Amino acid sequence: MCGLAHYFESEGLSTILVGFVREHIEVIRPPRSLFLDFPMGRGMGKPNDPEFQKKVIRAAFELLEASSGPIIDDFPEIIAVKEGRMGYALPPELVLSVDDIGDVDVVLSEVRNEMEALRPDYDTAIAARGRTTVGASGLAIEELAPFVVSFLDGEIPKSPRKGMPAIPLLKLVVEDLEAYYTETRTHRDSIDDLELMGEWFWEKTKAGRLLLLLEAVSVASENKVMLQIVEMSLMAPRFWSEGPLPGTSAAGW
Amino acid sequence: MTKISEMPAVGRHFMSNLELTVPTNDSWTNPVPANERRVSIVSTAAVSRRGDKPFSWLAKDSRTFHKTDRDLVMTHVAVEFDRSAWQQDLNTIIPLDRLEEMAADGEISSVADEHYSFMGAADPVTMEKSARAAAAKMKQEGVNTVFLIPI
Repeated sequence: MCGLAHYFESEGLSTILVGFVREHIEVIRPPRSLFLDFPMGRGMGKPNDPEFQKKVIRAAFELLEASSGPIIDDFPEIIAVKEGRMGYALPPELVLSVDDIGDVDVVLSEVRNEMEALRPDYDTAIAARGRTTVGASGLAIEELAPFVVSFLDGEIPKSPRKGMPAIPLLKLVVEDLEAYYTETRTHRDSIDDLELMGEWFWEKTKAGRLLLLLEAVSVASENKVMLQIVEMSLMAPRFWSEGPLPGTSAAGW
Repeated sequence: MTKISEMPAVGRHFMSNLELTVPTNDSWTNPVPANERRVSIVSTAAVSRRGDKPFSWLAKDSRTFHKTDRDLVMTHVAVEFDRSAWQQDLNTIIPLDRLEEMAADGEISSVADEHYSFMGAADPVTMEKSARAAAAKMKQEGVNTVFLIPI
Protein backbone atom coordinates (compact mmCIF):
# COMPACT_ATOMS: atom_id res chain seq x y z
CA MET A 1 0.00 0.00 0.00
CA CYS A 2 2.80 2.44 0.88
CA GLY A 3 4.25 2.05 -2.61
CA LEU A 4 0.94 2.97 -4.23
CA ALA A 5 1.02 6.35 -2.49
CA HIS A 6 4.02 7.38 -4.56
CA TYR A 7 2.29 6.55 -7.84
CA PHE A 8 -0.79 8.63 -7.03
CA GLU A 9 1.23 11.48 -5.57
CA SER A 10 3.48 11.63 -8.63
CA GLU A 11 0.33 11.93 -10.77
CA GLY A 12 -0.50 15.22 -9.03
CA LEU A 13 -2.88 13.83 -6.42
CA SER A 14 -2.32 14.44 -2.71
CA THR A 15 -2.38 11.23 -0.71
CA ILE A 16 -2.97 10.32 2.90
CA LEU A 17 -2.21 6.79 4.03
CA VAL A 18 -3.13 4.93 7.18
CA GLY A 19 -1.04 1.87 8.03
CA PHE A 20 -0.49 -0.86 10.60
CA VAL A 21 3.24 -1.62 10.25
CA ARG A 22 5.27 1.43 11.23
CA GLU A 23 8.63 -0.06 10.24
CA HIS A 24 7.42 -0.50 6.65
CA ILE A 25 6.05 3.04 6.50
CA GLU A 26 9.41 4.39 7.70
CA VAL A 27 11.28 2.58 4.94
CA ILE A 28 8.94 3.32 2.00
CA ARG A 29 8.23 6.91 3.07
CA PRO A 30 4.81 7.69 1.59
CA PRO A 31 4.22 11.46 1.67
CA ARG A 32 1.71 11.52 4.56
CA SER A 33 1.06 8.55 6.84
CA LEU A 34 -0.88 7.92 10.00
CA PHE A 35 0.29 4.87 11.94
CA LEU A 36 -2.54 2.92 13.54
CA ASP A 37 -1.82 0.60 16.44
CA PHE A 38 -4.86 -1.51 15.58
CA PRO A 39 -5.42 -5.13 14.52
CA MET A 40 -5.24 -5.58 10.75
CA GLY A 41 -8.59 -5.41 8.99
CA ARG A 42 -9.77 -2.47 11.08
CA GLY A 43 -8.42 0.62 9.36
CA MET A 44 -11.07 2.90 10.83
CA GLY A 45 -10.78 1.12 14.15
CA LYS A 46 -14.24 0.14 15.29
CA PRO A 47 -17.31 -1.07 13.40
CA ASN A 48 -20.53 0.85 13.97
CA ASP A 49 -18.72 3.63 15.80
CA PRO A 50 -19.00 6.66 13.50
CA GLU A 51 -17.35 9.04 15.94
CA PHE A 52 -14.26 6.86 16.38
CA GLN A 53 -14.06 6.34 12.62
CA LYS A 54 -14.23 10.08 11.98
CA LYS A 55 -11.56 10.66 14.60
CA VAL A 56 -9.24 8.44 12.56
CA ILE A 57 -10.13 10.18 9.30
CA ARG A 58 -9.68 13.65 10.79
CA ALA A 59 -6.30 12.69 12.26
CA ALA A 60 -5.24 11.38 8.86
CA PHE A 61 -6.52 14.41 6.94
CA GLU A 62 -4.78 16.72 9.41
CA LEU A 63 -1.57 15.61 7.72
CA LEU A 64 -2.68 17.48 4.61
CA GLU A 65 -1.88 20.70 6.48
CA ALA A 66 1.85 19.88 6.52
CA SER A 67 3.90 21.95 4.09
CA SER A 68 6.51 19.28 3.44
CA GLY A 69 7.12 15.60 3.96
CA PRO A 70 7.31 12.69 4.16
CA ILE A 71 5.50 12.93 7.44
CA ILE A 72 4.44 10.12 9.80
CA ASP A 73 2.14 10.66 12.73
CA ASP A 74 0.84 8.20 15.31
CA PHE A 75 -2.87 7.93 16.03
CA PRO A 76 -3.01 8.42 19.80
CA GLU A 77 -5.50 5.68 20.64
CA ILE A 78 -4.55 2.01 20.63
CA ILE A 79 -6.74 -0.99 19.95
CA ALA A 80 -4.74 -3.71 21.63
CA VAL A 81 -3.73 -6.87 19.85
CA LYS A 82 -3.10 -10.17 21.62
CA GLU A 83 0.53 -11.26 22.05
CA GLY A 84 1.84 -9.23 19.14
CA ARG A 85 -0.40 -10.86 16.58
CA MET A 86 -2.46 -8.66 14.30
CA GLY A 87 -5.32 -11.11 13.93
CA TYR A 88 -6.61 -14.42 15.28
CA ALA A 89 -4.31 -17.45 15.08
CA LEU A 90 -5.09 -21.10 15.58
CA PRO A 91 -3.34 -22.76 18.53
CA PRO A 92 -0.29 -24.50 17.03
CA GLU A 93 -1.27 -27.77 18.68
CA LEU A 94 -4.71 -27.84 17.08
CA VAL A 95 -3.91 -29.96 14.05
CA LEU A 96 -5.97 -32.77 12.53
CA SER A 97 -4.79 -35.57 10.28
CA VAL A 98 -6.41 -37.43 7.42
CA ASP A 99 -7.01 -40.27 9.86
CA ASP A 100 -9.52 -38.01 11.63
CA ILE A 101 -11.77 -37.73 8.57
CA GLY A 102 -13.79 -40.91 9.10
CA ASP A 103 -17.09 -41.08 7.26
CA VAL A 104 -17.34 -38.04 4.95
CA ASP A 105 -21.12 -38.31 4.87
CA VAL A 106 -21.18 -37.84 8.62
CA VAL A 107 -18.80 -34.89 8.36
CA LEU A 108 -21.04 -33.24 5.77
CA SER A 109 -24.23 -34.00 7.65
CA GLU A 110 -22.90 -32.40 10.84
CA VAL A 111 -21.92 -29.20 9.06
CA ARG A 112 -25.21 -29.04 7.17
CA ASN A 113 -27.18 -29.40 10.40
CA GLU A 114 -25.09 -26.71 12.06
CA MET A 115 -25.58 -24.33 9.13
CA GLU A 116 -29.31 -24.92 8.97
CA ALA A 117 -29.59 -24.13 12.68
CA LEU A 118 -27.82 -20.82 12.10
CA ARG A 119 -29.88 -19.86 9.05
CA PRO A 120 -32.68 -17.90 10.77
CA ASP A 121 -30.12 -15.77 12.60
CA TYR A 122 -28.07 -15.29 9.44
CA ASP A 123 -31.18 -14.04 7.61
CA THR A 124 -31.94 -11.70 10.50
CA ALA A 125 -28.39 -10.34 10.34
CA ILE A 126 -28.71 -9.61 6.61
CA ALA A 127 -32.03 -7.90 7.12
CA ALA A 128 -30.61 -5.72 9.89
CA ARG A 129 -27.40 -4.79 8.07
CA GLY A 130 -28.86 -4.57 4.60
CA ARG A 131 -25.93 -6.48 3.19
CA THR A 132 -23.87 -9.64 3.42
CA THR A 133 -20.28 -10.35 2.45
CA VAL A 134 -21.09 -14.01 1.81
CA GLY A 135 -21.02 -14.78 -1.91
CA ALA A 136 -17.45 -14.18 -3.06
CA SER A 137 -17.39 -17.75 -4.40
CA GLY A 138 -20.59 -17.33 -6.38
CA LEU A 139 -21.90 -20.60 -4.89
CA ALA A 140 -25.15 -20.84 -2.98
CA ILE A 141 -24.86 -21.25 0.79
CA GLU A 142 -26.13 -24.83 0.52
CA GLU A 143 -23.30 -25.64 -1.91
CA LEU A 144 -20.44 -24.46 0.31
CA ALA A 145 -19.96 -27.42 2.64
CA PRO A 146 -20.48 -30.10 -0.04
CA PHE A 147 -17.82 -28.46 -2.20
CA VAL A 148 -15.28 -28.48 0.64
CA VAL A 149 -16.15 -32.09 1.50
CA SER A 150 -15.55 -33.09 -2.12
CA PHE A 151 -11.82 -32.43 -1.54
CA LEU A 152 -11.54 -34.78 1.44
CA ASP A 153 -10.77 -37.87 -0.63
CA GLY A 154 -7.56 -36.22 -1.81
CA GLU A 155 -8.71 -35.72 -5.40
CA ILE A 156 -9.32 -32.30 -6.93
CA PRO A 157 -12.98 -32.11 -7.96
CA LYS A 158 -14.33 -30.39 -11.03
CA SER A 159 -15.11 -26.73 -10.47
CA PRO A 160 -18.81 -25.88 -10.66
CA ARG A 161 -17.97 -22.27 -11.54
CA LYS A 162 -17.20 -21.55 -15.16
CA GLY A 163 -13.89 -19.80 -15.67
CA MET A 164 -12.55 -20.53 -12.20
CA PRO A 165 -10.47 -23.63 -11.39
CA ALA A 166 -11.40 -25.71 -8.36
CA ILE A 167 -8.59 -24.65 -6.01
CA PRO A 168 -9.00 -20.86 -6.29
CA LEU A 169 -12.73 -21.46 -5.92
CA LEU A 170 -12.07 -23.54 -2.81
CA LYS A 171 -10.29 -20.58 -1.26
CA LEU A 172 -13.35 -18.36 -1.82
CA VAL A 173 -15.71 -21.06 -0.57
CA VAL A 174 -13.74 -21.26 2.69
CA GLU A 175 -14.07 -17.46 3.02
CA ASP A 176 -17.81 -17.65 2.42
CA LEU A 177 -18.25 -20.44 4.92
CA GLU A 178 -16.49 -18.51 7.67
CA ALA A 179 -18.34 -15.30 6.80
CA TYR A 180 -21.68 -17.10 7.03
CA TYR A 181 -20.87 -18.12 10.59
CA THR A 182 -19.26 -14.93 11.84
CA GLU A 183 -21.80 -12.58 10.28
CA THR A 184 -24.47 -14.57 12.06
CA ARG A 185 -22.87 -14.54 15.48
CA THR A 186 -21.58 -10.98 15.51
CA HIS A 187 -25.13 -9.83 14.92
CA ARG A 188 -27.05 -12.41 16.95
CA ASP A 189 -24.92 -12.00 20.07
CA SER A 190 -23.77 -8.40 19.52
CA ILE A 191 -20.14 -9.50 19.57
CA ASP A 192 -17.28 -7.45 18.19
CA ASP A 193 -14.28 -9.52 19.22
CA LEU A 194 -12.05 -10.97 16.52
CA GLU A 195 -10.31 -13.35 18.93
CA LEU A 196 -13.60 -14.72 20.22
CA MET A 197 -15.00 -15.12 16.70
CA GLY A 198 -11.86 -16.87 15.48
CA GLU A 199 -11.78 -19.15 18.47
CA TRP A 200 -15.45 -20.05 18.09
CA PHE A 201 -15.41 -20.72 14.36
CA TRP A 202 -12.08 -22.51 14.05
CA GLU A 203 -11.97 -24.35 17.35
CA LYS A 204 -15.57 -25.08 18.22
CA THR A 205 -17.76 -25.44 15.14
CA LYS A 206 -18.22 -28.41 12.85
CA ALA A 207 -17.44 -26.18 9.90
CA GLY A 208 -14.12 -25.19 11.47
CA ARG A 209 -13.34 -28.86 12.01
CA LEU A 210 -14.17 -29.56 8.37
CA LEU A 211 -11.66 -26.92 7.30
CA LEU A 212 -8.99 -28.39 9.57
CA LEU A 213 -9.64 -31.75 7.90
CA LEU A 214 -9.24 -30.02 4.57
CA GLU A 215 -5.96 -28.61 5.83
CA ALA A 216 -4.83 -32.15 6.72
CA VAL A 217 -5.71 -33.29 3.20
CA SER A 218 -3.76 -30.35 1.76
CA VAL A 219 -0.65 -31.19 3.77
CA ALA A 220 -0.79 -34.76 2.49
CA SER A 221 -1.60 -33.70 -1.07
CA GLU A 222 0.75 -34.16 -3.99
CA ASN A 223 -0.88 -31.14 -5.62
CA LYS A 224 1.55 -28.22 -5.36
CA VAL A 225 -1.15 -25.57 -5.12
CA MET A 226 -2.96 -27.42 -2.32
CA LEU A 227 0.31 -27.65 -0.46
CA GLN A 228 1.03 -23.98 -1.14
CA ILE A 229 -2.28 -23.07 0.49
CA VAL A 230 -1.11 -24.50 3.80
CA GLU A 231 2.53 -23.47 3.41
CA MET A 232 1.40 -19.86 3.09
CA SER A 233 -1.46 -20.01 5.60
CA LEU A 234 -3.93 -19.02 2.92
CA MET A 235 -6.80 -20.97 4.39
CA ALA A 236 -6.51 -21.78 8.08
CA PRO A 237 -5.37 -18.79 10.16
CA ARG A 238 -1.84 -19.75 11.18
CA PHE A 239 -0.01 -16.65 9.92
CA TRP A 240 0.22 -15.28 13.45
CA SER A 241 1.03 -18.64 15.04
CA GLU A 242 4.22 -19.26 16.94
CA GLY A 243 5.71 -21.65 14.40
CA PRO A 244 4.60 -23.28 11.13
CA LEU A 245 1.99 -25.99 10.77
CA PRO A 246 3.57 -29.39 11.55
CA GLY A 247 4.46 -31.15 8.34
CA THR A 248 5.10 -27.88 6.55
CA SER A 249 8.01 -25.49 6.54
CA ALA A 250 6.15 -22.22 6.11
CA ALA A 251 8.59 -21.92 3.23
CA GLY A 252 5.94 -20.10 1.24
CA TRP A 253 6.75 -17.08 3.33
CA MET B 1 3.27 -0.11 19.48
CA THR B 2 3.13 -3.54 17.88
CA LYS B 3 6.66 -4.00 16.54
CA ILE B 4 7.67 -6.56 13.95
CA SER B 5 10.24 -7.92 16.39
CA GLU B 6 7.45 -8.72 18.85
CA MET B 7 5.21 -10.50 16.37
CA PRO B 8 4.83 -14.31 16.49
CA ALA B 9 7.31 -16.36 14.49
CA VAL B 10 5.62 -16.90 11.12
CA GLY B 11 4.35 -13.35 10.76
CA ARG B 12 7.60 -11.86 12.08
CA HIS B 13 9.62 -13.83 9.55
CA PHE B 14 7.34 -12.70 6.72
CA MET B 15 7.28 -9.04 7.75
CA SER B 16 11.04 -8.94 8.30
CA ASN B 17 11.89 -10.49 4.96
CA LEU B 18 9.40 -8.68 2.79
CA GLU B 19 11.21 -6.99 -0.08
CA LEU B 20 10.21 -3.35 0.11
CA THR B 21 10.60 -1.07 -2.84
CA VAL B 22 12.22 2.10 -1.61
CA PRO B 23 11.59 5.18 -3.75
CA THR B 24 14.57 6.99 -5.21
CA ASN B 25 12.82 10.32 -4.81
CA ASP B 26 10.17 11.37 -2.34
CA SER B 27 7.00 12.40 -4.16
CA TRP B 28 4.98 15.41 -3.06
CA THR B 29 1.90 17.23 -4.37
CA ASN B 30 0.76 20.32 -2.52
CA PRO B 31 -2.73 19.65 -1.07
CA VAL B 32 -5.68 21.88 -1.86
CA PRO B 33 -7.55 23.61 1.00
CA ALA B 34 -9.95 21.41 2.94
CA ASN B 35 -13.06 22.95 1.41
CA GLU B 36 -11.80 22.08 -2.08
CA ARG B 37 -10.97 18.44 -1.38
CA ARG B 38 -12.67 15.86 -3.56
CA VAL B 39 -11.72 12.51 -2.07
CA SER B 40 -11.41 9.06 -3.59
CA ILE B 41 -10.63 5.97 -1.51
CA VAL B 42 -8.03 3.41 -2.57
CA SER B 43 -8.30 0.15 -0.64
CA THR B 44 -6.03 -2.88 -0.82
CA ALA B 45 -8.73 -5.14 0.63
CA ALA B 46 -9.44 -6.75 -2.75
CA VAL B 47 -13.11 -5.87 -2.52
CA SER B 48 -15.32 -5.69 -5.57
CA ARG B 49 -18.94 -5.49 -6.50
CA ARG B 50 -20.77 -8.78 -6.23
CA GLY B 51 -20.56 -10.45 -9.63
CA ASP B 52 -17.34 -8.71 -10.68
CA LYS B 53 -14.38 -10.88 -11.57
CA PRO B 54 -12.66 -12.05 -8.35
CA PHE B 55 -9.08 -10.89 -7.79
CA SER B 56 -6.41 -13.44 -8.61
CA TRP B 57 -3.96 -14.23 -5.81
CA LEU B 58 -1.27 -11.80 -7.01
CA ALA B 59 -3.49 -9.50 -9.04
CA LYS B 60 -1.93 -6.44 -10.67
CA ASP B 61 -5.26 -4.94 -11.69
CA SER B 62 -7.88 -3.02 -9.77
CA ARG B 63 -11.65 -2.88 -9.38
CA THR B 64 -13.83 0.19 -9.26
CA PHE B 65 -16.94 0.71 -7.19
CA HIS B 66 -19.35 3.62 -6.94
CA LYS B 67 -19.80 5.68 -3.80
CA THR B 68 -23.32 4.28 -3.43
CA ASP B 69 -22.26 0.63 -3.77
CA ARG B 70 -22.64 -1.34 -0.57
CA ASP B 71 -23.01 -4.87 -1.95
CA LEU B 72 -19.31 -5.66 -1.99
CA VAL B 73 -17.48 -8.95 -1.53
CA MET B 74 -13.84 -9.60 -0.69
CA THR B 75 -11.56 -11.96 -2.60
CA HIS B 76 -8.29 -11.23 -0.81
CA VAL B 77 -5.94 -14.21 -0.72
CA ALA B 78 -4.44 -13.62 2.75
CA VAL B 79 -6.14 -14.57 6.01
CA GLU B 80 -3.95 -12.74 8.51
CA PHE B 81 -6.38 -9.87 8.96
CA ASP B 82 -9.76 -9.72 10.65
CA ARG B 83 -12.83 -9.98 8.42
CA SER B 84 -15.44 -9.69 11.15
CA ALA B 85 -15.19 -5.90 11.36
CA TRP B 86 -16.03 -5.17 7.75
CA GLN B 87 -18.74 -7.81 7.86
CA GLN B 88 -20.40 -5.73 10.56
CA ASP B 89 -19.76 -2.32 9.01
CA LEU B 90 -18.25 -1.52 5.62
CA ASN B 91 -17.07 1.82 7.00
CA THR B 92 -14.48 0.01 9.12
CA ILE B 93 -12.40 -0.46 5.97
CA ILE B 94 -14.05 1.82 3.38
CA PRO B 95 -15.56 4.81 5.18
CA LEU B 96 -17.86 6.09 2.45
CA ASP B 97 -20.62 7.07 4.87
CA ARG B 98 -18.17 8.95 7.08
CA LEU B 99 -16.75 10.90 4.14
CA GLU B 100 -20.27 11.77 2.96
CA GLU B 101 -21.04 13.10 6.45
CA MET B 102 -17.84 15.13 6.43
CA ALA B 103 -18.74 16.55 3.02
CA ALA B 104 -22.20 17.47 4.28
CA ASP B 105 -20.58 19.22 7.25
CA GLY B 106 -18.15 21.11 5.00
CA GLU B 107 -15.02 19.37 6.31
CA ILE B 108 -14.20 18.33 2.75
CA SER B 109 -15.72 19.43 -0.53
CA SER B 110 -17.09 16.15 -1.88
CA VAL B 111 -16.77 12.40 -2.16
CA ALA B 112 -15.70 11.08 -5.55
CA ASP B 113 -18.16 9.01 -7.54
CA GLU B 114 -15.64 6.21 -8.09
CA HIS B 115 -13.36 4.38 -5.62
CA TYR B 116 -10.69 1.76 -6.22
CA SER B 117 -9.60 -1.58 -4.82
CA PHE B 118 -6.38 -3.54 -5.27
CA MET B 119 -5.05 -6.91 -4.05
CA GLY B 120 -2.86 -6.05 -1.07
CA ALA B 121 -0.96 -9.34 -1.25
CA ALA B 122 0.63 -8.36 -4.56
CA ASP B 123 3.84 -6.36 -4.92
CA PRO B 124 2.89 -2.68 -5.42
CA VAL B 125 5.53 -2.44 -8.16
CA THR B 126 3.37 -4.74 -10.31
CA MET B 127 0.37 -2.45 -9.75
CA GLU B 128 1.99 0.72 -11.08
CA LYS B 129 0.23 0.62 -14.44
CA SER B 130 -3.18 0.05 -12.81
CA ALA B 131 -2.53 2.71 -10.20
CA ARG B 132 -1.63 5.30 -12.82
CA ALA B 133 -4.72 4.36 -14.84
CA ALA B 134 -6.83 4.84 -11.70
CA ALA B 135 -5.14 8.20 -11.10
CA ALA B 136 -6.05 9.30 -14.63
CA LYS B 137 -9.70 8.41 -14.05
CA MET B 138 -9.67 10.22 -10.74
CA LYS B 139 -8.35 13.39 -12.33
CA GLN B 140 -11.03 13.19 -15.02
CA GLU B 141 -13.70 13.38 -12.33
CA GLY B 142 -11.99 16.18 -10.42
CA VAL B 143 -10.45 14.20 -7.58
CA ASN B 144 -7.48 15.91 -5.91
CA THR B 145 -7.12 13.86 -2.69
CA VAL B 146 -6.61 10.10 -2.32
CA PHE B 147 -7.24 8.27 0.95
CA LEU B 148 -5.22 5.04 1.00
CA ILE B 149 -6.49 2.37 3.38
CA PRO B 150 -4.84 -1.05 3.71
CA ILE B 151 -6.59 -4.10 5.06
